[in-house]
Amino acid sequence: MRWWTFIGSKAMRGPAATKAQQGTADPGDGTTRHDMSDDRIVRPRLRQALCALALATLPGCSGVQHVLAPAGTDAGFLANLFWIMLAGAVVLWIFMNGLMVYVTRINVRQMSPKKAEALIIGGGIVFPTVVIACLLSYALAAMPDMRAEGTGTRLKVTGEQWWWRVEYWPEGADAPIVSANEIVLPAGSRSEIALTADKVIHSFWVPALGGKTDMFPGRETRMSLEPLEPGTYRGQCTEFCGDSHAWMAFNTVVLPQEEYDAWLENAATDAVAPEGEAATRGREVFFAEGCGACHQVRGTAATGKVGPDLTHLGSRTSLAAGTLPLDEPSLIRWVRDAKAVKPGAEMPAYDHLSDDDLSDLAAYLEGLI
Amino acid sequence: MSWPKILDRHQSLWFLITGPTLWALHFCTVYAMTAIYCEKLGDEAGPLRLGILGVTLGALVLIGITAWLSWRQWDYTDDWDYEHDGLTVEDRREFIGHAGFLLCVVSVIGVIYVALPAAFVGSCV
Ligand code: HEC
Ligand SMILES: [Cu+2]
Repeated sequence: MRWWTFIGSKAMRGPAATKAQQGTADPGDGTTRHDMSDDRIVRPRLRQALCALALATLPGCSGVQHVLAPAGTDAGFLANLFWIMLAGAVVLWIFMNGLMVYVTRINVRQMSPKKAEALIIGGGIVFPTVVIACLLSYALAAMPDMRAEGTGTRLKVTGEQWWWRVEYWPEGADAPIVSANEIVLPAGSRSEIALTADKVIHSFWVPALGGKTDMFPGRETRMSLEPLEPGTYRGQCTEFCGDSHAWMAFNTVVLPQEEYDAWLENAATDAVAPEGEAATRGREVFFAEGCGACHQVRGTAATGKVGPDLTHLGSRTSLAAGTLPLDEPSLIRWVRDAKAVKPGAEMPAYDHLSDDDLSDLAAYLEGLI
Repeated sequence: MSWPKILDRHQSLWFLITGPTLWALHFCTVYAMTAIYCEKLGDEAGPLRLGILGVTLGALVLIGITAWLSWRQWDYTDDWDYEHDGLTVEDRREFIGHAGFLLCVVSVIGVIYVALPAAFVGSCV
């Protein structure tokens, strides 16, 4: 038997093969029994499924949340590191398996103990030690650059249950520009990001831009990111933090420097007055319902700090930390019963509001650009 | 003169784990040094890196000595074989020496890897 047929048929030897034969055996009553056949059928199916998955995710490499579709310096380095390690692993895998096939199938003979020892010490100790030391050095050498201090924008992000409090600190400012649930960064410069958390540990990660850093209550950690390509990239909390951990995401919008400056200028302003009848009525509902106790809309009486700042909510690209798109139906759904959208969300339901009230409220919120 | 029990080479497991123990101590020392230095003495890590270099060389020397002692205890060059699974005192002594020697090799690699970041990262930040 050739070695490749050997490898292919190995799985069918022994108990599995016997089982398989039993599984398809006709019990004599005209039916074919398949109950014993799991081993035989599930395994190749699983393998097929994995292959299909691998193929299907390849086009996904252009996605908004993909480590292998880097849009920044740091993610670029990490992606390179991954490819280098993958290439190394493939070469090693082929070499080791080739060697195994060679000594067990192609050239089967006894090896002198000396040779065998040299192979084990050389291939099993010296070689991997050196290879890993090289990889480690390559990665470590890049660390100082990746952790370099930001030169442009400074911001501070706080992990809350289950949303992100964002503060921009322009050069020389003594009060931050407050926002939430979306991060806007200029392309082509390194931004400094300070991280902390409110109650529990969270972790801040934008795969397309760089590595992740944990956020701890009562402690400030830091990271810096240098996005290169303008675009929108998804970020995600990557430290389990409770009920809605999976819904704790955000978009990172990378803008060319001039657009970023213009954006920041707008972000610093107070909220615009509502335009149109619906929005004006919506504003009344907002204050009548006491939303301002938890939410801030700068330039109005709403100064709450419990929930996300809504001053420029309408200019964001998602609602409730990447959970819903930012449009009227989503806003209505959210305000009516936030917990139904996001388990555990610390915002009360307003299901006593009429449909009209809700849609006016949505018009007001959408208009906060 | 009779040896204290702990030094009875065929009985004491200490000779087996001296290498990894030194590795563990080195690991803890380097971590503690870094944590305290970076917290109390600022971001520029020059002296800290020198300290780590010193601790590392010290650990390597001690593991080297342990390796040498284990090698002698293994007594490989006496009969050039790995046979020491018998019930004799000699077999036990050689087994502990052999295993201790291999663990020293692992410990050397571990100590070097633990210290490697200090060779590349020059600041606490
Ligand atoms: C008890 C405090 C509280 C009150 C009162 C409250 N909210 Fe909230 N709100 C929150 C919290 C906390 C969140 C974040 C929840 C999450 O994403 O997990 C939130 C999120 C939101 C968001 C999404 C914000 C974003 O950045 O995407 C909107 C919109 C919103 N609230 C509107 C309202 C409106 C309108 C009212 C009044 C009808 C209201 N809230 C009343 C606490 C409150
Ligand atoms: Cu979280």
